[in-house]
Amino acid sequence: MAEQARKDLAPAGQAAADPAPVGRIRFRVNGAEVEFGPESGLSPSTTLSYLLREKLGLTGLKVSCDEGACGACTVLRDGKAVLSCMSLAIEADGHDIQTIEGLAPDDPVVEAFAEQSEPGHGTALQCGFCTPGFVMTTKAFLDENPHPTLAEVKEALSGNICRCGSYQAIAQAVLHAAEKIERRRTSS
Amino acid sequence: MIRPFTPRVERQFIGKYRPKVDGKEKASGKALYADDLSLKSRFPGLLYAKVYRSPLPHARIRSLDLSAARAYPGVVDILSYADPDVAALKRTNAGWTDGVDTVSYRKMMWGTFRDRLVLGDTAHWVGDEVGAAVVAESEFAAEEALRLIKVDWEVYPFVLDPYEAMKPGAPVIHPEITRDNIFPPDPFGGEEVFVDKGDVEAALAASEVTIECRSVYHNATQGSLDNWCCVVDWKPEELTVWSNSYAVDQTRMHVSQMLDLPLHRVRAISSYVGGQFGRGDTGDQPFFLFTALLSKRTGRPVKFRHTRRESFHDSRQPAVYTARVGAKRDGGIVAMHFTSVGNAGAYADHTMFALKYAPKEITEVALAHVPNVRFETRGVYTNKLPACMMRGVGNSQFNIIFGQVVDLLAERLGMDPVELAIRNFGHEWESLPDPSLARVLKEGAERIGWAEKRHKPGAGPLLAGTRRRGVGFSFHPAWHAEWQETRRGKVQVSITLNPDCTVLLNAPSVETGNGSNTCNVLGCAEALRFLGVGFEDIRWGSTVDTAIGLKDCVQTDSAVSYLQSEVMAVAAVELKEKLLEIVAPALGAAASELDIAGGEAFVKAEPSRRASVRELLLQGDLAPILVLKSRAPLATRTGVPFFANFAEVEVDEETGKVEALKLVVLNDCGTVMYASGAEAQQIGGQVIGLGETLTEEIVYDRATGVPLNFNWIDYRIPTMADMPEVEPVLLEVWKGAGEYGACGIGEGTVTCTPRAILNAVYNAIGARVDEIPATPEKILSALAAKASAARAAAAGATATAGAAGAAATAARAGAAGSEVAP
Repeated sequence: MAEQARKDLAPAGQAAADPAPVGRIRFRVNGAEVEFGPESGLSPSTTLSYLLREKLGLTGLKVSCDEGACGACTVLRDGKAVLSCMSLAIEADGHDIQTIEGLAPDDPVVEAFAEQSEPGHGTALQCGFCTPGFVMTTKAFLDENPHPTLAEVKEALSGNICRCGSYQAIAQAVLHAAEKIERRRTSS
Repeated sequence: MIRPFTPRVERQFIGKYRPKVDGKEKASGKALYADDLSLKSRFPGLLYAKVYRSPLPHARIRSLDLSAARAYPGVVDILSYADPDVAALKRTNAGWTDGVDTVSYRKMMWGTFRDRLVLGDTAHWVGDEVGAAVVAESEFAAEEALRLIKVDWEVYPFVLDPYEAMKPGAPVIHPEITRDNIFPPDPFGGEEVFVDKGDVEAALAASEVTIECRSVYHNATQGSLDNWCCVVDWKPEELTVWSNSYAVDQTRMHVSQMLDLPLHRVRAISSYVGGQFGRGDTGDQPFFLFTALLSKRTGRPVKFRHTRRESFHDSRQPAVYTARVGAKRDGGIVAMHFTSVGNAGAYADHTMFALKYAPKEITEVALAHVPNVRFETRGVYTNKLPACMMRGVGNSQFNIIFGQVVDLLAERLGMDPVELAIRNFGHEWESLPDPSLARVLKEGAERIGWAEKRHKPGAGPLLAGTRRRGVGFSFHPAWHAEWQETRRGKVQVSITLNPDCTVLLNAPSVETGNGSNTCNVLGCAEALRFLGVGFEDIRWGSTVDTAIGLKDCVQTDSAVSYLQSEVMAVAAVELKEKLLEIVAPALGAAASELDIAGGEAFVKAEPSRRASVRELLLQGDLAPILVLKSRAPLATRTGVPFFANFAEVEVDEETGKVEALKLVVLNDCGTVMYASGAEAQQIGGQVIGLGETLTEEIVYDRATGVPLNFNWIDYRIPTMADMPEVEPVLLEVWKGAGEYGACGIGEGTVTCTPRAILNAVYNAIGARVDEIPATPEKILSALAAKASAARAAAAGATATAGAAGAAATAARAGAAGSEVAP
């Protein structure tokens, strides 16, 4: 299915016109299946971030650097964190994409970031623009490493830029999120 | 060990540690920013604009061939400098105000430097928005069309270095302003010598100890993640501009004045902004205007946004400072002479605020007890990125020399620099020592471990074979006390009390992340605590819209944190008076005989006669009660508090790498309005501060004038892995005017970081690097200079006494690195 969709892709557009439309792609976004064909005006170079934001209105992810340097566009593909600005829309074909909009209202990572305010670290977000990227990176990270050390947190999240500089509180929020997940796991 | 702040006065809401009011909305990705609000799905018929950017640093367009661009599929229209609509636009400046007041074209702060044309024909830096703007059905089509524009350029010579630009025969960049690239005097900034107190030369000649030094501040950029973005929809009845400008009322004024529309026909709206940090000065940016004209011509809404590369759009004003300072042997400073040369880049904007206005204010509030002080400066045009505000304007640039003077002079005098600072500096309303400065520095010294860790320069133990540690600090006077905000004009707040005693708060101010929105809700709850109103009972809105008819309080000086709360305290008094009138009949007493506490109205003389305000209101006409207050900031001269940064670093003498081990950030706040938010600002500022000090720098190709690293891979912003432990310290020593007497702190938290680190580096290795970023190359060359001076001194020891003296002089010069003026 996915194989076929890739074969259907039209060649790159000519210099004097918008690139030619692609063949069909189909994938899941936050559990719902979506499909795009030639009518949607996408091209082989359309990024996943563009498709999610501009076509599906999923604006939680942000496009800031648009070249893989800041992490603001991070989403999950099959549970792994990917930079959606560096992923082509066609690469999503046949995969499961999760954006921040797909998280539960009481998601422990979201809660931990929102609540972080204890003395000594500040808040885990200020302007909030980078926050969804940090949250999604954290989701994937804690799935892989549910009991991280502070050093492991700093290493894992060093691909995301927060210009407001809330790193110290973000690290605490990640540790608190791990505790929340553990508490919920053991109490359920 | 974390030591939470303890307030001077315990309050119910103000000063607390708690989550941000918008924490959940932001953490869940629901907060909408300009780029999110302007999706095509929200604006049917939306078009996209892109502007031509000069590939040359200095050139004039002889002619444009737009034919191929116009023919590109999807292109709807192209606006160029030759169009009458564009040619008719007035010359302008992107810093109409310093961001605190709304300012008309006629009253713009730097009216002497109207050096910007909207879509002009002359490029002044590589990346300058000139010539033409394309509007198309897609951003892609607009970008492709730009590539098809053919330009016949008249290429001019260019200059990047301000010292080169001042030489006779240098390319003249703005002949309409100056023939030698040096900014002429202007009514607001004054003459080249803008402070001249006492007789500096005589005092220096008579001084027992004198020092000379030099510091260089480079051109870091703000780096907001939320790139500039706007949508303009110019309908016959009204022009609406949605954007991520942080000055909404000023945006309305700018558009109104430049496009000759009455104010009621212009509506400006901003939502959440993903980081501001001073970018674009006060936002009087030409792109609002050509986007508007494209909307007018097409009759459709038009979106314009920068890519990240294009958002390298302004830098902090780079400046080279020199100082000559004279003191008595006992440590009393008698004379200070500072000079600076500022690289304005291609457009003036707020350059003279940085070079003149800020240092002048510092003279008043920190150098008041030094009898002889002289400041002189030259602002110079070059063909670089325009210089701009960046979390402060001129403060960081001055601090890097100021903190060096303190460190160097203390070394010469054999004094502790903490003692030297406390002995000499404070504002003119207070006798020395200044209690705020003394507390900030003593607390900082204790927190960093000054007594144990500070040693003679380079005299600490060698660690791991190649590394040495050192500690240093720098301090600065705040510039965000209420009296310093009087130019802002009236601050406007409205409080609407619903009959169920919930509250609609209208304290318009664009939420850029600094926590003032939470301060406002806390301030409102504090002011209305007589009603028993809680944090959750108050509705705060994230959108600022000029259609509501209130001026927004602009996020400069981090002063919104208390300015609006001060007005709420006044508004609450009026609200209580109104309520007493309303509930008086039900309690069968005159309003003057009543009071309200804990949500209950009661007769003062007979407190058992009481009733719930909420119940009384719900039995009434159910009309919400509105209080609107406009209040000018209090002008009472209260002086200012101080703030400081202490740093511990480790320097690898083999690789030249500097690692910050710990930063302590101390602010005397007057009153801490919101403790978690204040600490977030203290800690967060260190990302910009440390980045500017060690890694961030815009690099140009000197041969072509092309900036080489307009991206976040080569322009290196610190990540989580780069940051040391930061200890925030909130203090309440000084107090300003008003209910809270607070002082903004966030903007300044970056100011002292570079110098604190550079002083710590000197303490570690005994060699001075006085130019940031302190890259490994600079560290290694300072160490090499120190080693060769030491060799010369050793050789001199066997020679004559006279030669030994000369060698000692050379050793001092070598040890001082680049401190000798060119």
